[in-house]
Amino acid sequence: MTAYKTWQCTTCGFIYDEAEGLPEEGLAPGTRWEDIPDDWICPLCGTAKAGFEMIEL
Amino acid sequence: MTGPGIPVILAVQAGMTRQHGCKQRSVTAGFSRKSAVFATVCRFEAFAEVHIVIVGLTLAAERTAMIPQEIAQTIVDPKAYADGKRVDDAFSYLRKEMPLAQAQPEGFDPFWVVTKHADILEVERQNELFHNGDRATVVTPIEVDKKVRELMGGSPHLVRSLVQMDNPDHFNYRRLTQSWFMPQNLKKLEARIREIAKGFVDRMADMNGTCDFARDVAFLYPLHVIMEVLGVPETDEPRMLKLTQELFGSADPDLNRSGAEVMDADAALAQIGATVGEFITYFNEMTEDRRANPRDDLASVIANGQIEDKPLGHLEAMSYYIIAATAGHDTTSNTTAGGLWALAENQDQLAKLKADPSLISSYLEESIRWVTPVKHFMRSATADAEVHGQKIAKGDWLMLSYPSGNRDDDVFADPFAFKVDRSPNKHVAFGYGAHVCLGQHLGRMEMRILWEELLPRLQTLELAGEPKRMAANFVCGPKSVPIRYRMN
Repeated sequence: MTAYKTWQCTTCGFIYDEAEGLPEEGLAPGTRWEDIPDDWICPLCGTAKAGFEMIEL
Repeated sequence: MTGPGIPVILAVQAGMTRQHGCKQRSVTAGFSRKSAVFATVCRFEAFAEVHIVIVGLTLAAERTAMIPQEIAQTIVDPKAYADGKRVDDAFSYLRKEMPLAQAQPEGFDPFWVVTKHADILEVERQNELFHNGDRATVVTPIEVDKKVRELMGGSPHLVRSLVQMDNPDHFNYRRLTQSWFMPQNLKKLEARIREIAKGFVDRMADMNGTCDFARDVAFLYPLHVIMEVLGVPETDEPRMLKLTQELFGSADPDLNRSGAEVMDADAALAQIGATVGEFITYFNEMTEDRRANPRDDLASVIANGQIEDKPLGHLEAMSYYIIAATAGHDTTSNTTAGGLWALAENQDQLAKLKADPSLISSYLEESIRWVTPVKHFMRSATADAEVHGQKIAKGDWLMLSYPSGNRDDDVFADPFAFKVDRSPNKHVAFGYGAHVCLGQHLGRMEMRILWEELLPRLQTLELAGEPKRMAANFVCGPKSVPIRYRMN
């Protein structure tokens, strides 16, 4: 299995961790970035999915 | 003209002899901006003459009823924010009865008051449609606005920080320090911030079980952190605190420069201008020093930063320092002081938190929601728009009320209860969209570390007097929180 990745909002710094998902947003733990709908927005600041960058923590 | 906010109902029933056979249709009258809006026209065709019945004529309100004048006055009254309940009651009324309506307090231009959580997000998300910089970003009386524009060559702003910018400048200037404020960079500060926090907790332990938590800890701890980060020497911290409190507490006689209770526009502007001037003098020297001798501090990033291969503009650089040196600690101080105040008043929540330290992160989010230190920002529409069913015209001014959004029961169950385990807690205290608070991760980190150091040592906590809030309608929080406590 490919290692889980983390993605960061370039506006506010919110971090999406694939391993943890975002259960309160309906994204189960293990949800891959590519499986998140394109119209999903940052829960902290509303930045579009395209405004996230992959980062290494 | 009847005072704004008082709907005038006229019934002109000229020659109306019978009503049967009436075809009634509603017309939104396209009259001039300051004139009548709602008219209902009844045509009595049987008599081949037009009888007009105007059933709702609202003067001064163009498209909607105006907010009652008493409430309009309250939401700009610094003393109402010091009182707390008065402003909570006003916004509770508005959320229920007039969630997005226009207010015109005496001496102010009319503005829309955005009270619902969802509407605040809707406006903030559309940062091209709702600009920061075209009009004053803080609700400002007409006379003061006029004088600022005279002084600043037409600009409504005394400073030009990220708060007053729109794109492309906002994007470029924010990018300059964005990565510095990201969590991964802040990690390197954690050990030093913990050392500072421990120092304040030790100081509390040495104070024989009583202190004013606002003055002795909450004002000083975030101040010390941001000044160290910025590169201001410790000996200058009292001066920075005084200037910050003058700026945000300009309406509070305990904190402003002259101690005056009431000031006219000239005096208010002179006072704020003097404070800003003092900041600029200080940071001018710092810029020269950091350009000659760059260090590993935020001041060096600003002094040597480039936007499109050019140094920052002078006003923009000074404004960058000023916002870091003021908003960079005052909001965290307010939240810290208000958070402990809430624990002292809610002993069951204190017990719950002490029993389960894993709740510190949800407690700190709740304290941010509870205090909401930034009370509002203003936006202005760059084009006609619609929000919450209301027609916003190009150029209209909007007040985004963050405390109101954070008490919205569509989003928060039992919003006036302080719950250390509240979840979810999607408050709007940091704003939303492109202008979301740049320093939010630093503020959260500072507070988390302080609570991690203080709470395990705190055995008992209670209020030792009446806490007091600052009188301000922009940034405000507690100015005094006397407490009695036992620590190990």
